[in-house]
This record gives sequence, structure tokens and C-alpha cells, in this order.
Amino acid sequence: MEEVLSTLVRGLGFGSLYAMLAVSFVIIYKSSRVISFAQPAMMLAGATLVSYLAGPVGFYLAVPLAALGIAALGLGIERATIRPMIGRPVFVIAIITLGLDIAIRVVVNVFIGRDVRQVGDPWGLSTVEVLGLTVQQRYIAMIVVLVVVVAALFSFFRYSRWGLAMRAASLDQETALVQGVSVGTAMAMSWAMAGGLAAVAGAFVGTGGGVDQSTWVIALKALPAIIIGGLDSIEGAVVGGLAVGVVESFVAAYQADVAPWLGQNFSLVSPYVLLLLVLLVRPYGLFGTREVERV
Amino acid sequence: MRNTARRGAGLRRRRLMAVSLTGLAVLAAGCRGGGEDPADGGDGGGDVATDVGVTSEPCPDAVNADNGCIYLGTLSDLTVGPFAAAGPLIIEGQEAFWNRVNEDGGIGGYDVDVTEYVRDNQYNPQVTNQVYQEIKPDVLALAQTLGSPMTAAIVDDLDAEDIIAAPAAWSSLYLFQDVIVESGASYCAEAMNGVDYAVENDGIQSVMAIHYAGDYGADAAAGAKVAAEANGIEFTNVETTAGADNQAAAIAAIREQAPDLVLISTGPTETATIVGQAVAGGFQGRVMGSSPTWNPAILQSPAAPAFQAAFQHLGPWGPWDAETDGHAAALEALGDVQPNEFYLAGWFWSYPLKAALEAAAENGDLTRAGLREAAEGLEEIDFEGVLPEGTGNYAGGANEAASRATYISAIDPAASTGLAPVAEAYTGPTVEAYEFTGPCYEVEDLG
Repeated sequence: MEEVLSTLVRGLGFGSLYAMLAVSFVIIYKSSRVISFAQPAMMLAGATLVSYLAGPVGFYLAVPLAALGIAALGLGIERATIRPMIGRPVFVIAIITLGLDIAIRVVVNVFIGRDVRQVGDPWGLSTVEVLGLTVQQRYIAMIVVLVVVVAALFSFFRYSRWGLAMRAASLDQETALVQGVSVGTAMAMSWAMAGGLAAVAGAFVGTGGGVDQSTWVIALKALPAIIIGGLDSIEGAVVGGLAVGVVESFVAAYQADVAPWLGQNFSLVSPYVLLLLVLLVRPYGLFGTREVERV
Repeated sequence: MRNTARRGAGLRRRRLMAVSLTGLAVLAAGCRGGGEDPADGGDGGGDVATDVGVTSEPCPDAVNADNGCIYLGTLSDLTVGPFAAAGPLIIEGQEAFWNRVNEDGGIGGYDVDVTEYVRDNQYNPQVTNQVYQEIKPDVLALAQTLGSPMTAAIVDDLDAEDIIAAPAAWSSLYLFQDVIVESGASYCAEAMNGVDYAVENDGIQSVMAIHYAGDYGADAAAGAKVAAEANGIEFTNVETTAGADNQAAAIAAIREQAPDLVLISTGPTETATIVGQAVAGGFQGRVMGSSPTWNPAILQSPAAPAFQAAFQHLGPWGPWDAETDGHAAALEALGDVQPNEFYLAGWFWSYPLKAALEAAAENGDLTRAGLREAAEGLEEIDFEGVLPEGTGNYAGGANEAASRATYISAIDPAASTGLAPVAEAYTGPTVEAYEFTGPCYEVEDLG
């Protein structure tokens, strides 16, 4: 039982990171109708920035500073490369983000250098006893951060003027414009928020082991998460991310015993199996908006 | 500490003197032969037959303006691939190596240039083939081809064109590719030695290989399996993939089976995750890592105490702090750089190519075919003490060419790259008796 619970906590810990990344994808998708493949690079840039800032200002201050920095980067990217493409096919924009991803990573790699960089987090691999269960402190930190971030996001979208404006713009841009919402600003804000979120996730990805040039790959785990949750749903992204983390963690821990015939490393495939199962039942994802089709 | 430094400095001075004396002798020999052989120290060319990648004009920024130029190409991972951090260091090591060759007068009246044709293979076979085709008309041989899938993409063409190449890896596959001039023991031999050493010193009863698929990880796992069978101990095999977040299954396997020895063949980040988490979870056994598993930055990570307690590193040659003539020469040529094993690798991987070029120049045939013939005829390569004497018998076939010595290091934060030698040129009974009949990972069935 104890092992089951610690597997669950590990799954929820990593799942929280996937969820944060998934939310960042979804925020961009809702505003621009495009999946930004630059998110892995944003995450890597954020983690690297934290690794530089943690020394002088400490981890706790480094994370929000890095989030602001990467948010500014997101803003810049939106202004410089996405804004001029409005009205063009979203496919083109998606390809642009692919190019951006590579370009940003090449620059960030210079700052990462050849070694693994530490983010200076206070937890390392230390464990703590919670109700008789030994769990790594960083998993708890990840879960707490997800809760805080999601609560902040939901209240932002629910109660703040700008949150409402962004929701309106994502629902129907023209109507929002007519109502006096600055759709451009809403879009720019979404890219900035997504950048900041990716940076926070990156900082926590770096806990325990550090950041190196290949860390960006982790961000791709958010892709099955957003499809599972429904591309345009933030709740869906959270649930999808946590589901991916938990499923992966359990399959990694038990599949070798329970179903050895599936071969080694089945845990890597498990999020996609979950994705297929979900799509069979709900083609728009768990929380996705059903598209209206005229037949 | 200070004492060692002083001793090191003394040693270096003596070596410097030895090197200068050798240089003088070479110079004297060159002068004597100068009258008879116009190729010697003369107008670059002359009696030596050449075809592609060798010019009678001096190299750009030549050390010896009177010499001709031999161009060697480099296909390395410089920007976006997983070894983009290592590629530039390997190149720097290799540049330092050939620079010294040039400062010693070059080879057969030619300087060697390794800087003109450096291309980024992006760790992508397609790109590799493309940049290879670009530089092919201008180079005699390849001073570096990084990555097995990349090398595989061009090896048939290398073979057809008689272009020999120094690999930047230690797969046992290279023993069976004639145009590849490899150095150092393969991952396979290294793993055999690791298991033998742990049986001898720690009396282990079981070993678990945690490894990538393919000619790196599976090569090491195959070696571990052979050694486990030879020693009559239990062997289990866990395949894993890249990514610190993808190691949960490997860690679970360690926790469940609690082997006496875990032998890891992944990247350094994965190794740090596996070792850190396994030890944090109460694992008490020993851990060994193939040569690419170590990165000194691990010492700054939370996994550092676990590494110091349980980890031993297997290497094809001694680490930065090892004391051989080759190490001393490399360190002196590299100057004031932040210590990193990849610099040394670039240097040491270059010895076979130098030996082949010298042999070809001596035969008066610096054509591609001539160079290949010279390489295939090498019976011993002078590694300046880095590898045991008698290493590099390419003429005797794969089994004779295979290096079998492993340098085992413990983790010590005081060492330049964190590696402190515990056993030098260790050659266990398993590898001693093993006959290399094909790449280990193809010959041995991992199940």
C-alpha cells in the first residue's frame, strides 16, 4: 500500500508539471487557435534563467523573476513573429513556432553550456514523512505550485477585467472587438502568460537533477495531456496533465510485473494509450468544446 | 596537494625536454634526407603520391609555410543534437593534437589541417550525409565522425571512396568496419571488465544492466551479460530511454530486485537520476557507469553524495588526472581550459589517424587508397602511454585490434574532473578470453 501511495505522489508531482505545461499550451491555443511548439524552448529558457538567478537572489525569488523574464520573451515573440501573421493559416503559424523553438534552444544551449546546471532548489532529493509515508519534498512542492497557479489563473479569468476580456476574445474575436475589447492585447497577454507558466514548470523540472540541453523534451509530455483534456479547456489541461503523470508513474512501477509481455519502457507509450482510449469515448477530449457541424 | 602539483610540474618539464629532443631528432633526420627526397621539408608534394584533400600549397595559417597541406574533415554535433555540448570540446582537443603534429614539423612534408572542413551534423543522419557530400571532394580523411547513426549513414560511401575516419564513440561495431580507425576499449569490453572487477573486489552475486538500446547501451549490456555468465552470477537487463523523467521503471527495477551491482549505460543526467533516486530509496549495492555516464557537474547535484558512496566509472583510458606522456602532452597543448574529459577524448581519438598518415607518408602514398592501406596495415599505434603497449593491431583483424584495458575511477570532488583512478589498465579474465566475432550487441542475445 505504501508503495502504491508513493507511486501516486510521484505521479501527481510530475503530473503537476505536465499540467502546468499543458495549461500554457491551452492558453495560447485559446487565443490564437494554434499549438505553439515553442513552449519546450520557453520552458528550457525559464529553467536556465532560474539556474542563473538562484545563485544571487535565491530560488524563491528566482522563479517569479524568471517567469517575468520569459513572459516578456513570450510577449516579444508574439509581437515580432505571430502578430504579422494574423489572418494567415494557423498551420503556417504552427510551423513558425517550430522554427522559434529551435532558434531559442540554440541560444539557450549556449547559456547552459556542456554541463548540467542546478536550479538551486532547497529540496534536492530530500524526503519527508507525511502520514507515515516517505515522499520526496519536491513532489509536494510541485503539487502545491500547481494548486497555487491554477487557483490564481481561475480567479484571474473569472474576476479580473483582463481575464474577462481574454475569455471574450477567445470566444469570438469580432464580437469582442465590437464590444471594445482590445483583442491584440488579449492575445499578447496570453503568449506572455504561457511563457511565464512554462518558466515556472521549467524551474521545477530542474529540481532534483538539474537542467541540461536535452531537458526540453519533457515539455512534449504536455501534448497528450492537452488532447486528453480537450485542446481548449484549462480544466482539461490540468486533469490531462495529472492523468498523464499518474498513469505513467504506475505503469513504470508495475508493468514489468503485471504485464511483462508489453516489453520494456511501456510507460513512455502509456500516455498515448490513455489518449486513444479517451478519444474513443470523447472525440473532443474530456473537457473540450464540441464543434458544431452542419451535415 | 601542493606536492603532487610540484611533482606534476617536474614531470611535465622532463616530458617537455623529451618532446623537444624528439623534435630535434626528427628535424635532423629531415635535413639529412632533404637532398634525396624533395617531399621532405620541401615543396610539399614531390615523390609522395596524392589525390584528394592533399595540396602542395600550405594550409591556411600554416605552422610550416614550406609544407603542403593535408585536409581532414570533421562531422560533429555542434548545435541542436544531444552531444552539442561535447562536440566542440572534442574538436578543440583534436585541433590541439594536430597543431602539435604541425609544430613538430608535420607529416611527410605536409601540415595537417582540421579546421577548414568542420561541419555540423546536427546529430541527424540525413544532415550528416549532406554535409559529408559537401566536404568529400576536399578532404583526405575524416578526423571525426560523431554518433553511430550518423556514421552508419555514410560508412558505405566511406568504404567505397577509401576514406578512413576516426569515430567519436567506443562501440564494438567499429572493430568490424575497416574504414573506421577506433581507439580505446569498446563499451562491451569495458562492461566485462567492470563486472570482473566487482566480482574480484566486492564478491558480487548479481548484476543489473540499465542501458539505452543500440550500439552504445546494448553493447555495454551485452558485455555485462557475457561477464556475468563467465563468473556464474545472475544477470538482469533493463532497457531505458533518454530523459530524467523517464527513469521511474529503472528505479523501480532496482528497488525490487536489489542487485549487488548496477551497471548503467545512459547519459549523465539519466545516470544522476537513477543513482540519486535508487540510493535515496535505500539501495545499498554498487553502481558502475560506462564512460559517457559521467559529467563533473553531477558533483553539484543533489545526487553527489550517492555517487561518492556507490559509484565507479569505467573509462577506455585514464581520466584527466592520470599521469601518462599522452595526458601530459594533451594538457600542455590545451593550456588553461576548464578540465573536461571530452578534450582528452578528441586528442586520444586522433592517434590512429596520425599513425596511419605517418605510415602512408613513409610508403610514399598519401592517396585515399594509400592511406587506407596504411591504416589497415598498422600493427601497433603509439598512444604515448595512454593505452597499454601493443594496442592498435589493425593488421591482425577485429579480435587483435580490440583494446581490452579499462581504467576504473572512483568519484572524488578533489580530482580535476571528479574522477580519481582506482585501477589502471585493468583487464579481467572475461575480456581476456573473449573473442570478438561481431558487434557484441548483435552477437549476444539480451532477451
